[in-house]
Amino acid sequence: MKLPLRALLVLLAIGTAAPVQAEDIHQGNWLAWRGPLQTGVSLESYADYEFNEDPLWTDDIAGRGTATVFNGRLYTWGYRGTGPDLEEVVQARDEKTGEILWERATHDFISDTIYNRYSIGSVAIDPETENVIVATTYGLVTCYSKDGDQIWEHSMIERFGRLSFPNGRAGSPVIDGNIVIIRGVTSYWGADGPARDRFFGFDKKTGDLLWSSTPGVGPPYLKDSSMSTPFLETRNGKRVFYAGTGCGNIVCVNVFDGTPLWRFQVSKGGLNSSPVIKGDTLICLHGKENIDTTEIGRGFALSLPADYDNTGGEVDPVQKGAPRLPETAEAWRNRLEMFTSSPVLVDDKIYQVVKTGSLVCVDANSGEYLWELKLANEQLHASPVYADGKLYVPMFPGDFYVVDVTGDEGKIVNELKLDGNCVGSPAICNGRVYVHTTEKLYCFEIKNSGIQWAEAPATVMPEAGEPTKLSSIPVDLLLTAGSSADVSLVKADGNGIPISEAGVAEWGTFIPPTAKVKATMDAAFEGNTISAKADAQLSAGAWKGTAEGLTGFVRGRVISNLPYTEGFESFEIGEGGFAYPPLPWIGARLKWEVRELDGNKVLAKTLDRVLFQRSLSFIGHPDLSNYTVQADVMTDGSRRIKSVVGLINQRYIISLVGNANIIEVSSNHERIKESAPFPISANVWYTLKTRVDVAEDGSGVIRAKAWPKGEAEPDAWTIEVAHKNAHKKGAPGLFGFAPQSQKSVFIDNISISSNE
Amino acid sequence: MKSILHLLGQSLCLLLLVLFTSCAKQESGPEKKGSAPSDASPEETPSPAPESAIPGGGEWSTWGRDASNNMMSPATGLPIDFSAGDLDDDGNAVDAKHIKWVAEMGSQAYGTATVKDGRVFIGTNNEKPRLDSVVGDHGIVMCFDEKTGELIWQFSVPKLGAGKVSDWEFLGVCSSFTVDGKYGYVITNRGEVICLDVYGMSDGNDGPFQDEAKYQNGGLEKLEGAEPAELDDKSADIVWGYDMRSNLGVFPHNITSSSVVISDKYVFASTSNGVDWSHINIPAPYNPCLVALDKETGELVAEEASGIGERIMHCNWSSPGYSADLAGTPTVVFGAGDGFTYGFHASEFDEEQDGGETFNLFKEVWKVDCCPQEYRVDENGEPIKYATYPGPSEIISSPVVYNNKVYAAIGQDPEHGEGVGCVTCIDPSKGTGEDAVVWQFKDVGRTISTPSVVDGLVYISDYSGRVFCLDAETGEQYWEHDTLSHIWGSTLVVDGKVLLGNEDGEMVILKAGKEYEELTIVNYPAPIYATPVIANNTLYVMTQTHLYAYQMGGE
Repeated sequence: MKLPLRALLVLLAIGTAAPVQAEDIHQGNWLAWRGPLQTGVSLESYADYEFNEDPLWTDDIAGRGTATVFNGRLYTWGYRGTGPDLEEVVQARDEKTGEILWERATHDFISDTIYNRYSIGSVAIDPETENVIVATTYGLVTCYSKDGDQIWEHSMIERFGRLSFPNGRAGSPVIDGNIVIIRGVTSYWGADGPARDRFFGFDKKTGDLLWSSTPGVGPPYLKDSSMSTPFLETRNGKRVFYAGTGCGNIVCVNVFDGTPLWRFQVSKGGLNSSPVIKGDTLICLHGKENIDTTEIGRGFALSLPADYDNTGGEVDPVQKGAPRLPETAEAWRNRLEMFTSSPVLVDDKIYQVVKTGSLVCVDANSGEYLWELKLANEQLHASPVYADGKLYVPMFPGDFYVVDVTGDEGKIVNELKLDGNCVGSPAICNGRVYVHTTEKLYCFEIKNSGIQWAEAPATVMPEAGEPTKLSSIPVDLLLTAGSSADVSLVKADGNGIPISEAGVAEWGTFIPPTAKVKATMDAAFEGNTISAKADAQLSAGAWKGTAEGLTGFVRGRVISNLPYTEGFESFEIGEGGFAYPPLPWIGARLKWEVRELDGNKVLAKTLDRVLFQRSLSFIGHPDLSNYTVQADVMTDGSRRIKSVVGLINQRYIISLVGNANIIEVSSNHERIKESAPFPISANVWYTLKTRVDVAEDGSGVIRAKAWPKGEAEPDAWTIEVAHKNAHKKGAPGLFGFAPQSQKSVFIDNISISSNE
Repeated sequence: MKSILHLLGQSLCLLLLVLFTSCAKQESGPEKKGSAPSDASPEETPSPAPESAIPGGGEWSTWGRDASNNMMSPATGLPIDFSAGDLDDDGNAVDAKHIKWVAEMGSQAYGTATVKDGRVFIGTNNEKPRLDSVVGDHGIVMCFDEKTGELIWQFSVPKLGAGKVSDWEFLGVCSSFTVDGKYGYVITNRGEVICLDVYGMSDGNDGPFQDEAKYQNGGLEKLEGAEPAELDDKSADIVWGYDMRSNLGVFPHNITSSSVVISDKYVFASTSNGVDWSHINIPAPYNPCLVALDKETGELVAEEASGIGERIMHCNWSSPGYSADLAGTPTVVFGAGDGFTYGFHASEFDEEQDGGETFNLFKEVWKVDCCPQEYRVDENGEPIKYATYPGPSEIISSPVVYNNKVYAAIGQDPEHGEGVGCVTCIDPSKGTGEDAVVWQFKDVGRTISTPSVVDGLVYISDYSGRVFCLDAETGEQYWEHDTLSHIWGSTLVVDGKVLLGNEDGEMVILKAGKEYEELTIVNYPAPIYATPVIANNTLYVMTQTHLYAYQMGGE
């Protein structure tokens, strides 16, 4: 794989001191779900306002997110269909008519998402390129042109070890300058093996990874994913974002290089609300156990440090993560409780819907309650949006309110009953209000005789200082044997702000002193081009590049060509009675161990790792297709208790389900779940062979057979599953599920080969 | 609109209109089924004898007060002007009217309090740590002095390493503590049935179990190899324990959530067996959903093998009931995860040999599908998806035994939201299946509340926030009241009143009887998910964070 040199493009896009972004870009557009100010506020006001309760148009497509608008195009994200045919759809529509101009569908694979919890988020729009970017709950991050052409895509599960959670909360992409920020709980390789809620900065035009950031901490604080949307600003000479994390922190991260600047531990569970900034104060809330009281949830404000290089915080020696702000940073707190909805900031007031279905208004300076209005008996996800003195408030049971908030208390002026549940927040643009429910997309009209737009504050980017380091683009490589890639080097200042292109570097392997496995990539640099030979082995490692007296780092993996085999006999069992699994495997280090079993070295699933009861690990390249994976597999157990062990082939999980005595083909249990009887005894080795074939018409067949190890391979497949719209590619991998973390599973003699 | 400022701890006094809808809803009568004399009007139906009034109400020794799970109290003299007061920094409820004491729980508390022999027992989490040796998230059972609210001992259960799908963080011990003489029984967040000495360690370490120090760090499953904790003089005394997960292979979904019921010989416990994170896959489809243990030894006596595991919609969270004589048969009444209510023989079991082992299996006496067929399949015969509004539901609340009939209601995990529900009246003397159905009431929504049946009237609340009054013989609706807030707990009927807590932190008090009347609402600063309890002249109201004990006016 040869990648083009793109450092210059990066520089042109970011600019060294691109001072001011044209703010009239927000007039007539709604680029991201939180609106132009990132606060849930529209800049529009209307002459002769009248809200029309009869929708201008509707479309029968389910959705749980927020529409976005740019240059006369409305971008919506929904889902349709059932079972294996359910698809998520990005739709570009004519803003005036709602007519669909193009649409692109994707299908869930191997995620844990349940109950059709799809399209929770929105399509992010880049006004510079007019490209749009969407991130799905199954980890597909896709960039489309304004005409719907795919520009780049990442499968975050297979490429970066993203974990999946049943809640479907993926979070919306956020675009700033040349960078698109994506988030997720990941378990990658090496030092990024432990599960953490991480942020990834990609080049918005190419999809190259610019940085990844781990500002938060792990279990027991990290419990699941977060959809808190980063709030961007320039402060203290840095471009930063603030977001809540699945580990209960508000974090602050440098946008240019991903450096974690500080964190504030608020709760013992996920923080999904998106923060807002008022002056020098960050305001947010949560709905989990507080870190310092016996109550659940609170609203809070943090006084932002005056110096982000010296925040007064220290890195917790056990939990790690970013330096932790002292408790004194908290300016006020109240007892608002909400797990997912976000605050709306209007002047000195915060409007917030809470768990029990009330709209609450509090003083943004003190947190003091001003008034509240009971609108429903519950609320989930959706946040209100403010425009011209009114709040537009969708409530989970399907009620949609327009509330006048210009007085001393909220006053309902419109109350509508929509079809389905309201989970997404409204978008307001050009006198139209878009609301997506779990049954329909609604477009309402605000009748008026003229729209005015308030001026948005200018976005001032920080100015670059002296160069102190090199930034590698990309910072993470994935090479297949026989391919090469260019690494661009950019001189950057201490804040990661790019200054100018660097020349050709001298490259040397780099093994971090803390590395638990000392390893290098089976590849070599020539100039700034790295190449892996055709016979290169599966390997991983890091490089240090030096140019013009500055240094930078890049790391990566080499995927060997097929066939690939692994029998573990070459592993040296170390202290503790185990060896780490191969370093280049994705998400493997804490999920699997190489152990000796009956004189044979095998891979054993670890137990009692709270986020890894169900374990997926990937061995090969996400673009691989039409191949065969075979391995010997075994479950520990008893007559009553057995576990599940299997292989991943092209986004299908093929497993032996011990307790049910079946061989199963699945790819998200609500989408594909087919099985055939297969008696499974505990502590007996079986050979499991899987194969996926995709035909030219896009249909596919997943085949699998299993037999007691050592016996002759049966001619017939044990199970064959036809999939009309088959997964076209996907990384091979391993699967283990130990119900209740009681009985381990074992894998040995793995082989991956191209289909004959 | 209604105010939740009390929930938000706001001292700012804003006058907000509190409206409650109510209506005498007569037009939508129940669907009558079976051969029961359900056509009789309420006036014609002989009312059961009024419940005998017991001043003070006696004790409340198990989840549903007694094995019938009928949450009523024969107490008299309930004041309705009790109040929550304001909690100060020392945990006192300042200016709370009729307050006897208030005790701080963790951050979440779900089961009902039980009261026996001068002690009050409650399950919660460890967010209000009371013992130095217990740090971080744990399931907790607290034992308080009934008179003072002072902690006598605390049982501390470590969390599972399996994670949230089987032991959800911070849910604590959801099971109520069932007391029987010197011993009490509880199901932990780890899926263990544990017998504790109600006197704690004060009378020595009762056995055979002696490894309390190791248990506190490892639970039963990881006892071997666990580092012994430093026990406190307030640590609990474990008598025996049975680990349903490691012995039976069951997969508790999210949390082991039910309470036990006891007979003279046995402890009956739901295993909470359910689906995994996918909400479709059943990891233990052939493993039991209900077991009987020997009360004295904790040994497995019998297990369910009616195939419930294969039909689980979500989980088995219902607490079973027991009747020594239900239509002539000692019966365990079990509301199951497949939407059926089962009557199992409580003392005779089927013996089965398999693989050289002998298994005692529960013998089905009767079973009734409490989930109407139209919730299971649509008009085209296609299955209706679970966790959708019109779809099927399991049983989470407890079926109630009253006058030789059983009253059962279907519902789902609150996370699934609102949906269609049904209350079914079962007459086991009529046989099994549809023959045993007296009536079904389908105007109720999904519910996890247990009905109360008193003086011929059924009171049932639903998750949507409503409470209904029905005729126990015919299912006819007398009235309905909407609290406009989700309801997790159950009605308590006492002294001619119906008490019911909701998520807005309101204790709603209605008049009991065929005539609807709202009496008052008492506001609390935290949601109320538990059912109020009355024992020995004391009313207990438990919010998520505090247990309030109120002195009643009677003897």
